[in-house]
Amino acid sequence: MTTNVKGTPIVKGLGFDSFGLGANACTVDIDEEQDKILRIRPFHFDEHQTPEELNAWKLEARGKTFEPGFKTLISPLSLCYKKRVYSKNRIPYPMRRVDWDPNGERHPETRGTSGYERISWDEAAQIVAGEIKRMHDEYSPEAILCEIDGHGETKVVHAAHGCITQLLDLCGGFTLQARQPDSWEGWYWGAKHVWGMDPLGQQNQQNNVIKDISEHGDAVLFWGCDPETTPLGWGGYMASRLCYWFTELGIKQIHISPDVNYTNAVHADKWIPVLPNTDAALQLAIAYTWIKEGTYDQAYLDTHAVGFENFRHYVLGGEDGVPKTPKWAERICGVPSYTIKALARYWAAHAVSIAHCNGGSFIRSCFAHEPARLEVALLGMQGVGKPGANQFKFMEWTLFGIPTLDPLPPSVHIPSLGAAYRGYVTGTKASFIPKTMIPEAIMNPPVQWYGHIAAGFPREDQFDGPYTFPPEGGSRIHMVWSDSPCWETCWNGGFKMQDALRHESIECVVVQHPWMENDTLFADIILPSNTKFETEDIGTDCDSGQWNVVFYERQAIQPIGESKSDKEVVAEVARALEQYGGVYEGMLDKYLGGKTDDEWIKVGFETSGVPEDLTFEEFKERQYYAFPTREDWKDIPAGIRQFHDDPEGHPLRTPSGKLEYYSTTLSHYFPDDRERGPIPHWIDEGAGHQERQYLERGRKYPFLLVSNHPHFRVHAQHDDVTWFREIETCKVTGPDGYKYEPVWVNPVDAGKLGLSTGDVVKVYNERGAVLGGVIVTERIMPGAVYQDHGARCDTVVLGEGGLDRGGANNLIAPTATTSKNAQNRQQIGL
Amino acid sequence: MKAFLIDVAKCNGCHNCQISCKDEHCGTEWMPYAADQPMTGHFWCKVEEKVRGSVPVVRVSYTPLVCGHCDDAPCAAAAKDGAVYRHDDGLVVIDPAKAKGQRAIMDACPMGAIYWNEELNLPQKCTGCAHLLDDGWAEPRCVDACPTGALSFGEEGALDLKGAEPLGPLVGLGAHAWYKNLPKRFVAGCLVDFDSREVVVDAEAVLVDEAGTEVARVPTDDFGDFLFDQVEPAAYTVRVAGRELAADVREKDLNLGDIALR
Ligand SMILES: Nc1nc2c(c(=O)[nH]1)N[C@H]1C(S)=C(S)[C@@H](COP(=O)(O)OP(=O)(O)OC[C@H]3O[C@@H](n4cnc5c(=O)[nH]c(N)nc54)[C@H](O)[C@@H]3O)O[C@H]1N2
Ligand SMILES: Nc1nc2c(c(=O)[nH]1)N[C@H]1C(S)=C(S)[C@@H](COP(=O)(O)OP(=O)(O)OC[C@H]3O[C@@H](n4cnc5c(=O)[nH]c(N)nc54)[C@H](O)[C@@H]3O)O[C@H]1N2
Ligand code: SF4
Ligand code: SF4
Ligand code: SF4
Ligand SMILES: [Ca+2]
Ligand SMILES: [Ca+2]
Ligand SMILES: [Mo+4]
Repeated sequence: MTTNVKGTPIVKGLGFDSFGLGANACTVDIDEEQDKILRIRPFHFDEHQTPEELNAWKLEARGKTFEPGFKTLISPLSLCYKKRVYSKNRIPYPMRRVDWDPNGERHPETRGTSGYERISWDEAAQIVAGEIKRMHDEYSPEAILCEIDGHGETKVVHAAHGCITQLLDLCGGFTLQARQPDSWEGWYWGAKHVWGMDPLGQQNQQNNVIKDISEHGDAVLFWGCDPETTPLGWGGYMASRLCYWFTELGIKQIHISPDVNYTNAVHADKWIPVLPNTDAALQLAIAYTWIKEGTYDQAYLDTHAVGFENFRHYVLGGEDGVPKTPKWAERICGVPSYTIKALARYWAAHAVSIAHCNGGSFIRSCFAHEPARLEVALLGMQGVGKPGANQFKFMEWTLFGIPTLDPLPPSVHIPSLGAAYRGYVTGTKASFIPKTMIPEAIMNPPVQWYGHIAAGFPREDQFDGPYTFPPEGGSRIHMVWSDSPCWETCWNGGFKMQDALRHESIECVVVQHPWMENDTLFADIILPSNTKFETEDIGTDCDSGQWNVVFYERQAIQPIGESKSDKEVVAEVARALEQYGGVYEGMLDKYLGGKTDDEWIKVGFETSGVPEDLTFEEFKERQYYAFPTREDWKDIPAGIRQFHDDPEGHPLRTPSGKLEYYSTTLSHYFPDDRERGPIPHWIDEGAGHQERQYLERGRKYPFLLVSNHPHFRVHAQHDDVTWFREIETCKVTGPDGYKYEPVWVNPVDAGKLGLSTGDVVKVYNERGAVLGGVIVTERIMPGAVYQDHGARCDTVVLGEGGLDRGGANNLIAPTATTSKNAQNRQQIGL
Repeated sequence: MKAFLIDVAKCNGCHNCQISCKDEHCGTEWMPYAADQPMTGHFWCKVEEKVRGSVPVVRVSYTPLVCGHCDDAPCAAAAKDGAVYRHDDGLVVIDPAKAKGQRAIMDACPMGAIYWNEELNLPQKCTGCAHLLDDGWAEPRCVDACPTGALSFGEEGALDLKGAEPLGPLVGLGAHAWYKNLPKRFVAGCLVDFDSREVVVDAEAVLVDEAGTEVARVPTDDFGDFLFDQVEPAAYTVRVAGRELAADVREKDLNLGDIALR
């Protein structure tokens, strides 16, 4: 019986983006006596700080007021987390694959199908250390591939990802699986060439944009934007509240997307259904209408842009003889020409901003650079930066510690815990492979590409290269050590990755993970890591839209089973390596950086930027410090107003300092690139892609799959939370009782295919098939179907051409890149 | 007297209320208020969803359902041994010790707010988080976790109940869960001149009931769209640009789609 109703309140950041970037501050009540988590609830800023001390902000517009509130607006993804901590899916102890013998037969071909047996921590660490030593002796350090780039729990000292690289860096290096700017593909590879805007390609000056829209905006275009879903991973419901605020102010919310996403469902004033990844056609037709009707801002372009004439020439059909009329677009994108014209006219006559989270699938599809830069082209034609007209985001308001990304009143400081972070910090590595190229690199080396790939590099990096793996005289991959084992379900071409993980060249696969899921089942050695509830740490939340806060995270419960934190898991291997002497001597202490957890927490505290008069003891006692709102927040120019008012004084980061409708850099470096030329175009098909419905392949696979970021998961995370799985719209219970990942089908298509709600369907193409449970619904337009990405793999037939029951549709996504010069990745197209 | 006020116009469907209720009650017992709730299958707070309309006028209405803590509670009437009692602040609580085996309690609730716990042989439902209120909390878990203000809780006299109503099945039972802006029906359409392929802006659309009385009148907007929102379920006629279209929304909402100008 529990009598302790209150419990002991501690703080945990329950955001799931990892990389040491905390979020979603929660108060967690624990029952210390029973070693149990009682409840997870919103965190209160005003527990120890008054509204005056926080310099509480408010927005006032059109006679109405918006206040942020003093408790965090956490989401069910945080509230449910007890179910993740205590999941049946937790890995209780180290394990070895039964038919993998490091001293005998290794049977790479049975990975993914064979069973496991329990081993001791000592044995596990000995085996892993022995394999590392063997790689070093027989091949070279680059023979070890480190997969350490996923999202996940936001831990700092006990970092979810990358502790492995802290160790391997100390003994000779490794090959890094380099994560693409996968969240921002189109912006990164396309939009940057029009307006600079490093590091991501989306508008990077967003301060006071919400205030500006509240005062001057007529409408917001939600162009592939779902603030009721994607801010939740690391932000919470401030974004939701802002949508209600816009409604209260009479600001029209227009949604452009193939589906009725969760925001459209409750906030939209108008939905314009567009077929998946055909936005570029719609955009070109809008430009055409403005040019024909003279309703764009030529005077602005004269002073703020270069190359508009070239773009105009293309739009009017000068290049290919095809004017990009609304009628032309209608056939491609499914939006009636009269609606395109109406939208173009409305936009030209009003103050319109465009909202995103990260842009949606159309920014992650084949040729995603085109719609991304066309959007900037359109914004420019209506004088972007004028009152009520900017591009802004509903999430990632302090990403990379950049203070200008916050569209709400910013705090005085963005605390950084970088000095205490024990995970992997992005940067350049001697040996690396773009993540989408891993299966090829394993099975068919060498591979070649341009740029360092990772998010955050400046535009110029795209022209660096080419790079090759394996590097001159280096070894191919023979060992994989992963702490982010969800490649199969999260990255395109997962079936091919299953083949790579079973390839004869791979002698050893080590996975450390809290849960038995996805790629973990391909491991030869499984090391059980644990959740943040089981460790002591420090964290921040800078994404609530309220106040930036740094907090002490007390340990909540004892570790589950024999699990250890990811940092401790790697420490076990470091200790075992010491027996080999030489470079491995004293490895444990070197790996730990000569500090205890508490000392690292203190390093984080001291370098976070908290006021000097706050002592470490006081901090631990009160458990948090929140930074007040900037005194001068109202004076910060809104969005890119400064560029709008004075383009010479406040140039963009493009070579000309202006909007480049013609990119001289692209034409200089890649003059023959037909998929990413100097001017944004409509691209029908390319070497790697034939995804259009009206092309030959489209007649064979006539449906376009929309695979959004999951509403009830963060990618592969949370799929085992039964409190979600029992929600009727979260999973579809098939006739066999299995919980299938939903597939939304419009009644028109369902009629043609003879489908009804509850049916199990096969979603397939030439790369294989995944199953799903049908929901017949008006929430998806005809011609498109919808299934979230990130479902837990439950593969029946492994490898290319395989079959998956879980509905992990990335298994059949195309692996090709957008053009040979841009390491884009894409998902759509059945 | 404590009461819930639920404004569905402010509900974003996040399910925080449903999940936080489970976080509080699944796997943790709060005796003598409540035995622990099974890990899945019970919905002491349940977010109901309804998809309305058709492409391209589609919206989703969410309605969080909680026990009404009725004055004339049929569940209390069906209980033996005073197994369902009224807490000091008016909340209706099932006594987990006394209610064992009493299926009649569950069957009596007209809105299905009570669930059966197989393992404990017990009917269970929302306690109003009485264990927390008695411990000094101002609001129960579901209300605390609601990010939009759709859920509120407090002394009934202090809540703004103007226009609020109980859920259908509880009418007349003196329920203390009050709802605002429960979804009614909409009629939508878009007026298009297919000869010029242009939408028709600023045309009058009129909604007329069966008796021929005008119910509402709106102009088409910049997209040629018109919308009659929150109208009573009935059979109507829409008059627009000289055309008359039947609009029967007794059963469900209606999007008339593109209407050709003649
Ligand atoms: N179809 C489709 N696919 C997509 C996208 C899309 O829009 N559509 N979007 C893409 C995008 S933007 C992204 S960012 C990727 C996301 O891809 P990932 O970032 O790879 O996915 P996650 O599931 O968030 O996290 C990675 C892994 O970390 C694990 N993890 C969590 N916490 C811990 C921990 O404490 N320790 C350890 N060792 N592991 C932990 C998780 O269980 C999971 O296996 O998916 C991409 N894939
Ligand atoms: N709950 C939750 N939150 C998350 C994540 C998660 O997995 N779950 N992932 C996090 C990560 S890593 C990222 S990168 C962000 C992603 O944030 P986003 O990129 O914004 O998210 P998406 O779900 O990919 O897409 C948003 C919307 O785009 C629309 N859309 C899809 N295809 C098209 C198209 O072809 N054209 C147009 N116009 N619209 C389209 C859909 O309506 C969809 O709801 O979210 C982050 N937050
Ligand atoms: S709603 Fe049902 S369970 Fe609640 S008090 Fe009324 S009759 Fe009883
Ligand atoms: S008041 Fe408590 S028991 Fe009732 S629905 Fe809300 S959280 Fe659940
Ligand atoms: S928590 Fe509030 S907004 Fe969310 S579903 Fe429940 S009532 Fe609606
Ligand atoms: Ca204009
Ligand atoms: Ca802020
Ligand atoms: Mo991402």
